[in-house]
Amino acid sequence: MRMRKHQWLRTALSRAYYCTFSSSFPLKHVTQSNFESAVADLKTHLKAADFVAIDLEMTGVTSAPWRESLEFDRFDVKYLKVKDSAEKFAVVQLGVCPFRWDPLRLSFIAHPHNFFIFPRQEVPIDSSSYEFLCQTTSIDFLAKYHFDFNVCIRQGVPYLSRGQEDEALRLLNLRYENELSEQARDVPLVSITDILFSERMKNRLREWRDGLLRDTSGGSQLEGLFSNDSNQQFQNIFYKMRPALSLNGFTSHQLRLIQSVTRKHFKDLASVRVEGESSCSQQLVVYTDSESDRDLLKKEVMNDYRRQAEMKIKAAIGFRHVIDVLSSEKKLIVGHNCFLDLAHIHSKFLGPLPLEAEEFVSSVNKCFPYIIDTKILLNTNNILKQRMKKSKTSLSSAFLSLCPQIAFASKESCNLTFSSSVKVEVQVDDTRSSSWISGVKHEAGYDAFMTGCVFAQACNLLGIDFKLYSPSENLACNERLQKHANLLYLSWINGDIIDLSTGHRTAESLRCRDLKKSQTGILFENIVLLWGFPSKLKTAVIKDRISKVFGPTSVTSIFRLDETAVLVQFSKLKLVADFLVVKETLERSNDAFSVLHPLSTILEGGNTCAASYETYKDICSSSVSKLLFADQAEAVGIRWKTKLVERKEELETEEQDNFHEENAANTISVYVEQN
Amino acid sequence: MVAVSPLLRRRLLSTSVTRTHHKPQQQWSIKQVTKSNFADTLEDIKSHVSNSDFVAVSLQNTGFFSAPWQRVSPFDTADTAYLKAKYAAERFQVLHFAVCPFTVRASKVTAYPYNFHLFPRPELKMEMPSYSFYCQTSSLISMARQGFDFNSCINDGISYLSREQESAAKIQMGNPILAKNVTESTSTLSVADSVFIERIKSHIKNWKKACKETSTRKEGNQIQDALVRSLRKLVLGNEEYDSRPCMNIDVCSERQAQLVVEMLQEFADDVVPLIIPAKGGAMQAVRVVLTSSKEDKDLLQGKLQNDEQELKKKVRGFREVIDLISASQKPVVSHGSLNDLTLIHSKFIAPLPPTVDEFMCSLRLAFPLVIDVNHLMKEINPLRKVTSIPSAISQLKNRFFTPIDMEIPCQAMENEDTILGQNVVKICELFARLCSILKIDPADVKSDKEKRASALEAYANIFRPFCTASEEPIDGEIKIWTNNTRTVSCEDLVFLWGFGDRVTAGVLKSLLQESHEAFSKEFDVRLVDTSCAIVIFWQHGLSETFLNTMNKCSDMCGPLREMVSEGLRAAGYETYNRACRLGFWESSLADSLDRALANSDCASEADSKTKCSDRCNEWIINLDDL
Repeated sequence: MRMRKHQWLRTALSRAYYCTFSSSFPLKHVTQSNFESAVADLKTHLKAADFVAIDLEMTGVTSAPWRESLEFDRFDVKYLKVKDSAEKFAVVQLGVCPFRWDPLRLSFIAHPHNFFIFPRQEVPIDSSSYEFLCQTTSIDFLAKYHFDFNVCIRQGVPYLSRGQEDEALRLLNLRYENELSEQARDVPLVSITDILFSERMKNRLREWRDGLLRDTSGGSQLEGLFSNDSNQQFQNIFYKMRPALSLNGFTSHQLRLIQSVTRKHFKDLASVRVEGESSCSQQLVVYTDSESDRDLLKKEVMNDYRRQAEMKIKAAIGFRHVIDVLSSEKKLIVGHNCFLDLAHIHSKFLGPLPLEAEEFVSSVNKCFPYIIDTKILLNTNNILKQRMKKSKTSLSSAFLSLCPQIAFASKESCNLTFSSSVKVEVQVDDTRSSSWISGVKHEAGYDAFMTGCVFAQACNLLGIDFKLYSPSENLACNERLQKHANLLYLSWINGDIIDLSTGHRTAESLRCRDLKKSQTGILFENIVLLWGFPSKLKTAVIKDRISKVFGPTSVTSIFRLDETAVLVQFSKLKLVADFLVVKETLERSNDAFSVLHPLSTILEGGNTCAASYETYKDICSSSVSKLLFADQAEAVGIRWKTKLVERKEELETEEQDNFHEENAANTISVYVEQN
Repeated sequence: MVAVSPLLRRRLLSTSVTRTHHKPQQQWSIKQVTKSNFADTLEDIKSHVSNSDFVAVSLQNTGFFSAPWQRVSPFDTADTAYLKAKYAAERFQVLHFAVCPFTVRASKVTAYPYNFHLFPRPELKMEMPSYSFYCQTSSLISMARQGFDFNSCINDGISYLSREQESAAKIQMGNPILAKNVTESTSTLSVADSVFIERIKSHIKNWKKACKETSTRKEGNQIQDALVRSLRKLVLGNEEYDSRPCMNIDVCSERQAQLVVEMLQEFADDVVPLIIPAKGGAMQAVRVVLTSSKEDKDLLQGKLQNDEQELKKKVRGFREVIDLISASQKPVVSHGSLNDLTLIHSKFIAPLPPTVDEFMCSLRLAFPLVIDVNHLMKEINPLRKVTSIPSAISQLKNRFFTPIDMEIPCQAMENEDTILGQNVVKICELFARLCSILKIDPADVKSDKEKRASALEAYANIFRPFCTASEEPIDGEIKIWTNNTRTVSCEDLVFLWGFGDRVTAGVLKSLLQESHEAFSKEFDVRLVDTSCAIVIFWQHGLSETFLNTMNKCSDMCGPLREMVSEGLRAAGYETYNRACRLGFWESSLADSLDRALANSDCASEADSKTKCSDRCNEWIINLDDL
């Protein structure tokens, strides 16, 4: 075991040495072994910090291919997908990097911390929280960046969310009450063996008690009293200054019998259960002076027991202590594209994620009132957009283009060129350096550091002069930052932004990207969800067949979810209802001619289902995750084939519209008549 | 809660017990296999498997069951036990897989243990073998305690594809496959067939001629040649394959493809037929490649075969080992065969079928004989309740005189980590000891292939964890040993939930006693998890009376009415069965049963079927196990 421990230490260190090699030192890795001291230090840094950058590494992102963030996802569906991800996957690494402006050195001091965390079960609560999903590609990705899984699993810091802590305390109280009620309950003596055993125990306990009373002063006699017991079932000990017998080697049933014997026949004996060291409990029979002394003892034991359990729960809170400090200090939190990160933080450290995005947002806002996302900052601010030109806004490329003096610190010459930039010094324990380049990309601690540097540089570019800045001022309330505060990308791919403080959503207007359709162009009520068709059916064929029935302009666009499902956007709302009716009628009229209907290609196989967009949302909200969408729909419990929607009155009376309707109706009636 | 804490305590106790057993025991040296030495090991294990009588397997998974009620319990029928195992097999991942071919001769066991480190790395970038998998923290931590190196597993673990995934991958990749030579014509030709063949034949003749012509007229005008060539390409669909001229012939059925291949034998001197699998709904095709000479043809064929082998190796990965065990048809010995074999089936053969019968059929094709040491242990009374292998071995050592000599020829390199996978050797040892006590000669398996050791076969292929192979002959014995073992029909069981989580089984029983006449006779109550209890009516028919009352509001009175108005609900066994079948694996059984009740209308047809089979499904219930 020792040798093995050595081995992983060496792997952990080898990573560290790699860093020192490039003339700097590693960031602070925090595991179970150095957690207490590291957190004590971190707390003081957090309190002094101007802002805190964070970053997370997870075991996966999507639990099924169709759970990825897609173009046709309405904001509520997007939230459901994020929620699913945060609930299923585990966070294995969490980077916390407090940044403080040092007015004397005219630079920021960063304290990057890299926490390994692991959902270790320390207290008995709902076991389903101790199970998590791993996405194979993500695990492979982490391995590629030399993530140390051994350290994480063996040494990862445990945590309890606020919700779990409450639950653990509730269960503790429950157990406490049960213990009390259990003690009061007598075990019925059913079999002859029970009666004989109880009688024998009664005699033994009486002997022991009488022995104690005969010679209250001497211990010599005490020692010898049960020494002839070959199996050491009774052992004389002292418990809370009182003589006691420790009972060993009995079955739980026998122990219960002994308990009831003590209770029934001895007013001065108390049977108590105490928690031993290795969480094995120990049954004792304790001699007490009087009835009141006995009650006192019982109370004391129960209180001890409770205190111990509460301590254990306190210890199990683990990493959440850091989150609690972040929250109570109301520090400005900086992340990079951090909506998913915040969802993880909510579900892991606060409580279960709410069903609605609005509720989630207000819950996050209550806990962390100031959040700035650097991805938003870089993409929405004109000055920064100019500075970034057209380069990518992924964290590492933003870091390279905004903070080259930090990224290329080893090259001395660079320092002159970027003299206007903000200086960042790094402090790890007592070592401080201004040319710190160590760290591995996609290591949470280093990513958090990069995020913080990008933010500091962005502030500088926005014209915030830290030299004039007083520490009491809240950076998030700075007029130049204020309009970017508390905005997050709900989804990056179609630029949906959500405001944490109000819950309002806005589509990003400033960003010009060559999206085929902007989110505002999608009319979700015009969409039909279609799944379970033959998997080789091409999207173009689906469009062609539908257009044949409902007219050439009926289908605006088709979006493929996966090989088993598509979302079809119709040009008119009423076409949704029409399509569903036609499909349903076609399936019901089970005649030879319906085979000739254009839609029959889509219905081939007889498993094709269709419904409105709301069904897509329902399916996304399920906790099940099947790989294929059609399997998912089945697992969710959908047994119908078509879910008709109410036909909504539309004010449009275009001729073309009538044409479609007639055309569609005719196609059916022709087939029906022929039948 | 009450149910959880003793359970937890027991678990803690049991781990400490196993650990103390571990220490004094000898640690066998076990060959560890990763990506780097897999290819070399494959040959060794192949010969060891073919020279041994049995193959023991032992799997280390990332989890076992997600909620207390989802573990297989004594009240599970073969169906529900399978469904539970299926659910776990689909969710969790196997990270190391120990295989140990072994032979038992008299008291000597010769074993060749291998421990394979697996990781479902997406080698082909096609979401295979596994898009994602679940981990239970407790399982990972216990693996870490054993010294398991997760980094090496993820970086160097061997990947694999199941048989079904391999064929899907082949189609997706669409790589041409060398057509197998057809030795004789399989069926008579129809008129349409012969027309088709003649047309293709003349097409090929023309094409061959044209190709030959261009290659001989090399000295001709370059530009004109290029023009002609491109024109010809348009007209004939001429292409190049591996710098040799080739032509694709579209076929619309498997049969047509076969006909073309058959016909092409006529041109066997210089033409190589390749089959292009149907990709994403596209038409299947036969590609005809023209080679310049006989040597060139052999060269091409050799190259193609080589490529195919390489790809197979890359794609199949660890499944090669499963395939060779399966091909050897040797009996497979495991501990907890239901869990192990469902996992093997789902990861290496095909997705698990919906019912236990289909599973057994499918499994038997791959592994005809599966022996679970657990079932052998059940035959020996003192071991009936022992579940861990080390404690079973030590108990056997204490109670019986069974000298077993383990011989493990050292295969591991000196500097290799050889601790992992001890379990598989212990399974071999336990198996040998059990056979010797039960007077079964394991050598029979080899000597007499026709009447293959009927003694062992009696214990084979049992996939119900809580039943014994031969209940009748030793029926009386069981009852003497423990008076808690009784037989009860599924019909006499009722699930109760909605009583809050503050109630113990004892309290619930006393509450029930006063609530309804059905509880005036003998009955028992056990908690399945904190949310749900199971009531066993020892008198037949009372369960129905009780359920009828629960369904009719008017009949309810007194305390029962009180309990129901506070949320008490009840359901018979078929509801439980349905919850398992429909996959309502909520974390508490109460939620699952609620969902199953809500879903009762749609599934009534299937239910009536299972009801019938349940009627004859009597099972042994051991109250101590609950």
